[in-house]
Amino acid sequence: MIELYVNGVAYQAREEDTVLRVLQREGFDIPTLCYHEALKPFGACRLCLVEVVSGGRSGITASCALPVSQGLSIKLDTPDIVRARKMLLEMYLAEAPQSQQINELAEKYGVTRTRFVHADTSASGSRCVLCGRCVRVCNELLGLGAINYTGRGVSTSISTPWHEASDVCIGCGACAYVCPTGAIEITDLPDLRIMETWQRTALIIRNCKETKQGIATEKGIDLLYKLLPDLPVYLGELSAEARRTFIATGMKLLNRT
Amino acid sequence: MKIRTFFDLERIRAKGISFLFPGKLKISVGMGSCGIAAGADAVYEKLSETMKTVVPEGILNKTGCLGFCGEEPFVNVSMPHKPLVIYHRLLERDVPELLEHVMRGEHYRQKVFCKMDILENFMLPKALRFGDGYPDFPSIHDTPFYSKQKRIVLRESGVIDPESIEEYIAVGGYASLLRVLENGSSEAVVKVIQNSGLRGRGGAGFSTGVKWDIAHKLTSDLKYIICNSDEGNPGAYMNRGEVESDPHMLIEGMIIGGFGIGATDGIVYVRTEYPLVVERLRQALEQARYYGFLGKNICNSSFSFDIHIICGAGSFVCGEETALIASVEGFPGRPRPRPPFPSENGLAGKPTVVNNVETLCNVPVIFAKGAKWYSSIGSESSKGTKVFSLVGDVKHTGLVEVPMGTTLKEIIYDIGGGGIDGRKIKAVQIGGPSGGCIPSHLFDLPVDYESLQGSGAIMGSGGMVVLDEQSCIVDVTKYFLAFTCGESCGKCIPCRRGLEHMLYILDAICDGRGSMEQLAELMEVAEIVRITSLCGMGQAAPNQVISTIRYFKDEYEVHIKERKCPAGVCKSLL
Repeated sequence: MIELYVNGVAYQAREEDTVLRVLQREGFDIPTLCYHEALKPFGACRLCLVEVVSGGRSGITASCALPVSQGLSIKLDTPDIVRARKMLLEMYLAEAPQSQQINELAEKYGVTRTRFVHADTSASGSRCVLCGRCVRVCNELLGLGAINYTGRGVSTSISTPWHEASDVCIGCGACAYVCPTGAIEITDLPDLRIMETWQRTALIIRNCKETKQGIATEKGIDLLYKLLPDLPVYLGELSAEARRTFIATGMKLLNRT
Repeated sequence: MKIRTFFDLERIRAKGISFLFPGKLKISVGMGSCGIAAGADAVYEKLSETMKTVVPEGILNKTGCLGFCGEEPFVNVSMPHKPLVIYHRLLERDVPELLEHVMRGEHYRQKVFCKMDILENFMLPKALRFGDGYPDFPSIHDTPFYSKQKRIVLRESGVIDPESIEEYIAVGGYASLLRVLENGSSEAVVKVIQNSGLRGRGGAGFSTGVKWDIAHKLTSDLKYIICNSDEGNPGAYMNRGEVESDPHMLIEGMIIGGFGIGATDGIVYVRTEYPLVVERLRQALEQARYYGFLGKNICNSSFSFDIHIICGAGSFVCGEETALIASVEGFPGRPRPRPPFPSENGLAGKPTVVNNVETLCNVPVIFAKGAKWYSSIGSESSKGTKVFSLVGDVKHTGLVEVPMGTTLKEIIYDIGGGGIDGRKIKAVQIGGPSGGCIPSHLFDLPVDYESLQGSGAIMGSGGMVVLDEQSCIVDVTKYFLAFTCGESCGKCIPCRRGLEHMLYILDAICDGRGSMEQLAELMEVAEIVRITSLCGMGQAAPNQVISTIRYFKDEYEVHIKERKCPAGVCKSLL
């Protein structure tokens, strides 16, 4: 166990912890955008800033990537950090004006207006803050890499190669699931899932033999069986409802209802 | 032919001496990028054609950059037992006249710049002597440009042939490597560098010994030493000159460093915009491999090591070590949070030491002369010398090497010759886009890491741009900010949006639309970008704004309140 100090008070940490993990575990309210527990720390959003006082390189740094060390002493919410956070939130308001989550986060810290220029659509759409969670989940966790950062500076956007519909996207929707600002749009039609934000990439949905409901995308099911070949076949053929009916029928037959 | 012992090295050294002092006429053309830009390649071609008929027994070869780039093309003429005569501003059309004199054993006085009696090289116990004579030609050490310099890193630049490993060995090259490997202790290597006080020459000035020590102490199946040759600061070209003129000193330094930290591989990351550096380095690496300085069991030791060249792709931020590492790994050059630091967790997660070109170029001479000698040069906190590219509104431009602690005044006036056409010098911009402007009334400031930081500038990699009254400080600030803004990778919001906003305000000021409120806002945003950016580039980009508002607020105010540009530069305000 490692002991570190937060605002002068000692806390216990595990060796593999980052400072942010400890702070979250101990109930501190640290704003984050790019941090996700399933992904490697990225350090892009700059909201989780803390000040290292001693026990490490002193100065303001991102707590999501800061490893704990014995005797590390940090301060939260110093005047510099409070001031910096407000201006960063002004920048976020200009980056993603249409995002409800960003507007709420800004308001929570007393920021309701921004001096920074609104792009009507910033290069990545009016809800994207370029936190990279979607990119990291698609690349790091799924190993597919259908989307990534394109361009640089203020023209940075998250997109597919050459902004064309993707042939590696499997329509799993993990990107939308981890997006903190509601920037990724998906439309589900009876037979087709359309990843609106990724150049309207369309994925065929496999429907249940029994109930005709959508199970998942064909490509998604293919990948699932490639990764877990011993998975029972019926999981890819029957919707949840059909499986419940199937099991209930089976149980009845065996007098086990 | 593998060199395994000092005896082997001595044999090659003798060969190199016969190249340097061939006992007959030798003409060397300065073929660094600066010389070539001034027409040296045409001079070389012309000499190549005409020497065959006029002085058929003469030898023609290339040399690197002598450092006085404003006086290029340089041509060195060596006659047996006579001092080396160095010609300046020698163009293609001057070649016939030159050869007419030379074939008679005389010199074309009009174009003579100076002579060099001895080659001071710091690597050998005794200096090498060209010869005596020409009492009416000034010695290079008596010329204003060179007299106050202490050329340690640039000791043989512009004299030896950068394409000949034998000439490098002739002036003491690779003896340090042999000594280090014969001693066999990597701990000792790290200790020497720690004792020398060598600090990173890329700009941050971090202790090289500490960095090597961290990597040395870690156990890992793979370790890397990376030479950062991405030199991106506008106006700074020290590393370019160093590698084009003396690639082997970098290679030797890197092998010693690799041995010290226990590296398995070395990588030189060169910016694509330096094709001559890549060419000379590639050739030098092949030569080093041929003699067994790279490869398996170097010089009979158990140390195996090789160096690979990887080119950048035009991104300034790839000079930042984590972005550089990402680029080497095949990812787009975007920085990563530090900690963890590359010395612990770098390329492919392995311990990786990233050093600037000039840092590594200092290594062989430190082992030749010792840490004590090295630490006796420079100031209390900053040891050794630094190479600066002195450019801009100053009489003498070029690469200048001085001991740390030399004042700005000495560099700009004694070495640089002061302003052009008697114009008053207003400031000097140091440290490139991450640096700041120092006003002329502070020119007594010694040039070392701490003094410069205290003034609001930084040492940076060594770019020194002199500004006179015809330069507008606000315009220069706008230039550097437009540069960093354009080079922002976009990963973190403060650099991405903050620099852009600061540029809007500067544009407005230069356009006569600025207000004092906006000036205050410019400072406010600059502060936030400085403390919240992910990497050193974003953190340092506001320095230019912060330092110029500190020292030249009046110039900003004239632009805002009077809608005038005192230097007569901002077009909208004329």
